[in-house]
Amino acid sequence: MSDGPFAELSGVTRTYGGVAVLEDVSLAVRPGVTAVIGPNGSGKSTLLGVLAGAVDPTDGRVRYVGPAVDRAIGYLPQRVPFREEFTARETLAFYARLAGDDPDESLERVGLSDAADRRVGALSGGMRRLLGIAQATVGDPPLVVLDEPASGLDPGMCERAFRTAADASGADTAVVVSSHDLDLVDEHADRVVVLDRGRVVAAGPRDRLCSDRGVDDVAGLYRAVVAGDAVGADEGVREERSAVHVTGVSER
Amino acid sequence: MRDRILAVDTVFRRELATVLRTPGYGVLAVGLLALLGGVVAVGGGAATGFVPAVVDLLPVTEVVVPLVAFVVGYRALLVDADSGELAVIRTYPVGVVGYVAGVMLARSLAFLAVVVVPYAMVGGFVWATAAPDTGIFATHSGVDSPLLYLRFLGLLVPFGAAYLSLATVVSAVASSRRGAVALAVLALVGGVLGGDLAVLRSLATGTSPSAIPGLLALTPNGAFRGLVFEEVVGVAFAPQGGFVDVGRAIGSLLGWTVVGIAVSTVTLAYGDRLEVLLEGVRARLAE
Repeated sequence: MSDGPFAELSGVTRTYGGVAVLEDVSLAVRPGVTAVIGPNGSGKSTLLGVLAGAVDPTDGRVRYVGPAVDRAIGYLPQRVPFREEFTARETLAFYARLAGDDPDESLERVGLSDAADRRVGALSGGMRRLLGIAQATVGDPPLVVLDEPASGLDPGMCERAFRTAADASGADTAVVVSSHDLDLVDEHADRVVVLDRGRVVAAGPRDRLCSDRGVDDVAGLYRAVVAGDAVGADEGVREERSAVHVTGVSER
Repeated sequence: MRDRILAVDTVFRRELATVLRTPGYGVLAVGLLALLGGVVAVGGGAATGFVPAVVDLLPVTEVVVPLVAFVVGYRALLVDADSGELAVIRTYPVGVVGYVAGVMLARSLAFLAVVVVPYAMVGGFVWATAAPDTGIFATHSGVDSPLLYLRFLGLLVPFGAAYLSLATVVSAVASSRRGAVALAVLALVGGVLGGDLAVLRSLATGTSPSAIPGLLALTPNGAFRGLVFEEVVGVAFAPQGGFVDVGRAIGSLLGWTVVGIAVSTVTLAYGDRLEVLLEGVRARLAE
């Protein structure tokens, strides 16, 4: 697996109405699955929007540095936005035509071939998310950004959405996914970014972050870093706060 | 270049499919046909000829064509921006110019279908019911002719395009459906009444009456009305002309259209950056 970064954020800040939603975030996104976790309102969606180019930072810089292709970044926003009057196939056909891809292959990849002729408005929430993931991977972009692909779904559909996202990652693809489902993050993520109040409070390979804090899994890491109830967590968080702003996932 | 054309064509097809699945536009066309038919029937123009029918239709046209243009266009660019799908589309190889062009082309086609078809049907009705003279094809004074009605139909296109373009600006600037409706109403009232009121006001403040043909040409309604008088009604009954500066009127309608498209495109391309700039100013003021 190539370990060079596909995207770099340096000193990114985003404010709305003068309130900082994202503050001085520096990260490098590498191939594999990177999970962004944090409490509600911690800036996850804004961070993913900045990465996808959907949100302009008020300060700092974001750069795509991956392979030069026609479609560099795939993006699924938190709210799946497709027009309800189109069928699943028509929706993907529009995007596939722009990217020179096959819509039926994309539908098959997420297991929606049987629902190809159903209107988006008639799809279940889970199916819409899968359609969104299929859209985000149309044209095989090297960087795929998925904002809570498993949000509001039943456990089975959550697992399916996450597995589909994880399957899209690999040596040539970086998948960045935000989620509140820490068990699924634990199962699928190679790297973890923990956000709290707009700042990165921990970032790096999942196994290393867990072992550094003496916890068994991502849920334990979250409690240690955000809630601060693990042994020695307060000290660790303080160290990480100062370090991550400079180093981020890339450990630069 | 081929990729750009493909992108515009893809956006165009999607927008056209959306328009074709919107039953409201069919209802709008039927309602417009009923209105125009009623106006011509009440005015008696249909029994007299094409030019009298145009005279009957002109005041109504100056209101309904802008209204239809706003109905067709006020959400043209807002739909994807509001749902968040525009952020997704922009991750594909389609530029803002290509996206706006695709949407505008599809909406223009929808507008033409909703407006021109009812007007053409009214023309057909006049052909079938009016006096025998209407069968004479001529462009000279004193002779009514279907050709003059065709000219009128032709003038509807740039007039509607100017308003459709302004409606697209509304759809690019507005951040919600409610906001778009409010802006559209303001722009519609301002466009339909504002220009004439401004000309009247300028006369009251000492502008020479001889400047009226030039001033009228600056607003979409004034330009359209002037062109109809100059190229349709005046040809048959007042060949001396002088209603409007024709070149300026045509330039004005084209100008409104081009400016509207340009403002829409720039707003879509740089609107977020403007927001970021404002955030920066706010941050500096707070320091």
